[in-house]
Amino acid sequence: MRDPYNVLGVSQSASDDEVKKAYRELARKYHPDNYQNNPLADLAEEKMKEINEAYDAITKQRAGGYAGASSGGYSGYQRGYSATDPTYAQIRNLINAGDLGQAEQLLYGVGQKDGEWYFLSGSIAYRRGWLDEAMQNYSRAVQLEPNNLEYRQALSLMQRGTMGGYRPAGYGAGLDTMDCCTTMLCLNCLCGGGRC
Amino acid sequence: MFGYVRPFRPELKCKDFDLYRATYCGLCRCLRRRYGLIAPMFLNFDFTFLALLLWEPEESFAPCRGRCHANPLRRLPMCQDSPALELAADESVILAWWKLRDSVEDEGFWSGMGARGLSGLLGPAYRKAARRRPEFDGTVRVCLEELSVLEKENCPSLDKTADTFARLLQSAAPGEGERGRVLSQLLYHLGRWIYLADARDDLEEDKLAGRYNPVSARYGSEGDDCALGLTMDQSLALIGAALQLGEFGCRRPLLENITYLGLPLVKKAVFDGSWKEIKKQKIWRNDT
Repeated sequence: MRDPYNVLGVSQSASDDEVKKAYRELARKYHPDNYQNNPLADLAEEKMKEINEAYDAITKQRAGGYAGASSGGYSGYQRGYSATDPTYAQIRNLINAGDLGQAEQLLYGVGQKDGEWYFLSGSIAYRRGWLDEAMQNYSRAVQLEPNNLEYRQALSLMQRGTMGGYRPAGYGAGLDTMDCCTTMLCLNCLCGGGRC
Repeated sequence: MFGYVRPFRPELKCKDFDLYRATYCGLCRCLRRRYGLIAPMFLNFDFTFLALLLWEPEESFAPCRGRCHANPLRRLPMCQDSPALELAADESVILAWWKLRDSVEDEGFWSGMGARGLSGLLGPAYRKAARRRPEFDGTVRVCLEELSVLEKENCPSLDKTADTFARLLQSAAPGEGERGRVLSQLLYHLGRWIYLADARDDLEEDKLAGRYNPVSARYGSEGDDCALGLTMDQSLALIGAALQLGEFGCRRPLLENITYLGLPLVKKAVFDGSWKEIKKQKIWRNDT
């Protein structure tokens, strides 16, 4: 295992608060919410596990080797789902495994198009990066079954655009206030001037 | 590639600005060394981003000094040659050449003369680059063919047309391993974003010329900036999510600046029409 202080990016002499702050920032970055249905979700999960373990190790160490001082940090993301239709359950598994071609084929074999059908079709499109189609399918799913939380959550995650996801400190959305002329000025002086 | 991918200078630290400039100049020199005097003409911001992205993660960088191509009397800090820089240079030449061929096909006999002349000049460099990166050249060729078929069909799906360009750019990075997966996802959505930005930029022009435009095919002849902006932002969010999973060492702040500040600003300029002005003006100035 890597040095836990290295993982969190703090020095050995950092105070408890600094360690906690670094941990929280990293946990916010790799939070499963930012990687839902993302083809890279497994990598984010690994990172999350790594920082959880590092934080646990440090807190244990600092508590004088006292075992059981668990941080109770963010745990993996588990989505409860009770499948009614075995084909849909199979399609979900295929999507999670990244086998989109097979999932799509099975989905086209389903005769009746209900909310779940559109939701899964949207998930496949999203995984591929076909975001416009994903939005349309999620919207249709919500339209057909307005009370389904899962469909609504998927749609609202897409509707937030860049506003919801993680951004490092200092990259807040502060550009909206800029008027047209300032935009031009800023883009134009990108690389001019200033001998290095 | 059209110069959409650029940093937002007011928020850059001096060291990051130096790194950007050194990479830009280093790529120029690499193009000159590998492909002669014509190739550096096709250097742009997008290819610089590609070089930064492909670079093996390093904790710090040490530039060397080299002669400026535009003004050989000046010596400037440049990044040293590396496999990433060479890959970016080869791919730049291939992309620039195919873009010229594309313009030749699109334009008529007379108006396409300029592009035809340039592609003739770039021809030897392109053939050399295609020999060095046959796989990338093949993917670009296939994707552009698919795209031109979709354009002829007046394809109404935004995703389907954007997918061709997105896959094209995706193939710019080797896709193996963890790093490869991160770069693939990042470049796919960057390609999608660039394609959509370019389509929005050409909306008026295509309407006048009666050409196919994916944005008007999807949203109607007036476009729909709200919906298009949202789907572009979603790609941007996925670019950011991928960026956070990769190791980029000292180049991370620069890549973050471009992703979180540069791209949104360019999108804004494209949407409000000021981008045309920005493109017309010479942005890279060496004289001050």
